Amino acid sequence: MVRIFLVAENKDIICKYKKLCEDNSYILTSSSDIDMIEEIIEAENFDLILLDDALNSVNPLNIIKKIKSIKDNSVIILLKSEKDFDKDIIKHINGIITKDFDENLILATLNINLRSKNSLQKLSNTNKDLAESLYRLNTLYNTSSQFAGTLDKEQLLEYMIDGLDKSLSFSLACTLSFCEDNTPLLLLNSLYELSDEMLDAIKLRTVINYKSLFENKKAPYEINENNLKIIKNVKYPANRFNFTLFQFDNMFAPIALGENFYGCIEVFKENHFTSEDAKCFQTIAQQVSLPLKSATLYQEIIETNKKLEKLEKLKSEFISIVSHELRTPLTSIKNSIDILLSGRCGEKTPASEKFLSMAKQNVARLSGIINDLLDISKIEAGKMDFHFKPVDIHTIIDYVKSALSGLAKEKSLNIETLETENLPEILADSQRLEQVLTNLLSNAIKFTPEGKRITIKSELKNSAEIKYPSCFTDELKKLNGDYIVVSVEDEGIGIQENDLLHVFDKFAQIENSLSRKVGGSGLGLPIAKQLLEAHNGSIWCESELNKGSKFYFALPVDMSAIREKALV
Amino acid sequence: MKKILIVDDEQDIVESLKFVLEATGYNCFTALNGEDGLKLAKELIPDLIILDVMMPKINGYKISRLLKFDNKYKNIPILMITARSQAEDKLIGEETGADEYITKPFDLDDVLRLVEKYLSKENDGCSNKQNA
Repeated sequence: MVRIFLVAENKDIICKYKKLCEDNSYILTSSSDIDMIEEIIEAENFDLILLDDALNSVNPLNIIKKIKSIKDNSVIILLKSEKDFDKDIIKHINGIITKDFDENLILATLNINLRSKNSLQKLSNTNKDLAESLYRLNTLYNTSSQFAGTLDKEQLLEYMIDGLDKSLSFSLACTLSFCEDNTPLLLLNSLYELSDEMLDAIKLRTVINYKSLFENKKAPYEINENNLKIIKNVKYPANRFNFTLFQFDNMFAPIALGENFYGCIEVFKENHFTSEDAKCFQTIAQQVSLPLKSATLYQEIIETNKKLEKLEKLKSEFISIVSHELRTPLTSIKNSIDILLSGRCGEKTPASEKFLSMAKQNVARLSGIINDLLDISKIEAGKMDFHFKPVDIHTIIDYVKSALSGLAKEKSLNIETLETENLPEILADSQRLEQVLTNLLSNAIKFTPEGKRITIKSELKNSAEIKYPSCFTDELKKLNGDYIVVSVEDEGIGIQENDLLHVFDKFAQIENSLSRKVGGSGLGLPIAKQLLEAHNGSIWCESELNKGSKFYFALPVDMSAIREKALV
Repeated sequence: MKKILIVDDEQDIVESLKFVLEATGYNCFTALNGEDGLKLAKELIPDLIILDVMMPKINGYKISRLLKFDNKYKNIPILMITARSQAEDKLIGEETGADEYITKPFDLDDVLRLVEKYLSKENDGCSNKQNA
């Protein structure tokens, strides 16, 4: 219904417009009392205001200004008398009706203004809606970017509630979630304080809501009013909610992704939630599920890692303790054999000597295995100490060669060395390098038939010149710069091509290999690899079945990285 | 005859050491735990002590430290037997002032050689700082 307010004193004018409005079913209110006008304008919403400029003793411009100051968007049409009027008025009014207007023209003027007012109203409403949507979108956008930024479950829920508060302005939000140990946690974000009775009611409601989600299925978590852990955030603790809260409008949504259930949320608001609110609520509740899933998985990964680390540590400790415990009885056995072999307990027969030697050799083998086990567990636990000093590689080659010459002699093997002169010194732990080379050379001796030859060679090579079988590409592509490359070549049984990479694996059991026949812990090469890696070096091999193998290791000439390590 | 004190909770090891050392001509005393070992060391003031690390009550490190920081006993050479082979243990041992470290399983000949190094004729047991 169109409502028109007429400000006039002239009875004729009032009568004229009264009739006009009646004929057109407009509602007309009229007043000439200047003091009343303000009150009326404030109290009512008029579509049009008609103002007669022939008012006694009042300047129409003042009235217009007053009206505008109360309602800025008022549509004012001036009823112009014959008198001249202030030209300024034109700026403030929407139309003029002069005395010579006939009824149709007046009606047309009124209608045009009514229509334009309606259009403006609509436009402004649309703008308001747009602004609101934009705000909501922004909130959604902010909330989802916050979701992307964390893997912390509590933080995610906090962001969700914050986002909901910004877009819905709820009075109370009850968020049910679950802690690591499956304790149900009820997070209450409330405008006002909640009494104990209210709290009990909310708890009960939450449990019922939760159970309603799993009517026919088994609920993933056990919850009841007593095991709910409550966290309350109250914005204005001075005020209190009462039971009218439950007469508020409310919305409820589960926080879940497929089979994964993370909780649920219910929000209350004194005003009605719009359908936009509902969409926004659902969106945010859904959006938080995915990061919650990631957070849960992330948590699981962290826990699994912790467990693995613990297991790994236990394993290393176990190996270390067992090795220590094995050494003591082994010492007694070794001592007894040594005493018997020394002849201090009387004459030996050739047969007793043979078997005592056999026992002695096997004790040595056993203690070698124990040492290897200890070494690998130390390396893996990061407890191996390295003492880096400048080292001449030939000193090491000569030492190892002479240490193993007895073993080579037993098999009539010829060990040849091809040394490149004037190789630069490298920074290394000489004891560990000896261990590496001893391992490679003793393997070569083990696997080479009697009377054949073993060659140890040292060279200075740039990484570009270093050649290796393609299976080592992943391991060796990191080589960069100049290296001292040492190789041990044998004429032994060789290794199959697809086994090459695996000889450096822990406890590698290579089919057809002689390693078990010949003995050894199977840890020698993995230890060598780890020791070299601690020197920023590498190890690899090439081989031809039944012709022989060639093991290489490379140590960087540029010692700066090692020097840093040594300083640490 | 030079006196050697062997302290180890492993009876078998004590016996094999004692057998070889006595056969070589040393007078051996033995203790099967740290407490007795320390008491005997103070009573006998032996020419050399062979000391195991891992023992109940008082371990080898502690005994070594107690003796080496006492002017009365600090000149007695101590050969420490350890079940560990790693440098970190040697470092702890060095702090406790032992003179030599023998890793299990050891060679009896190596032990004899070390004993002789400290108890040879020009070395009457008063100096332990000499290195071979």
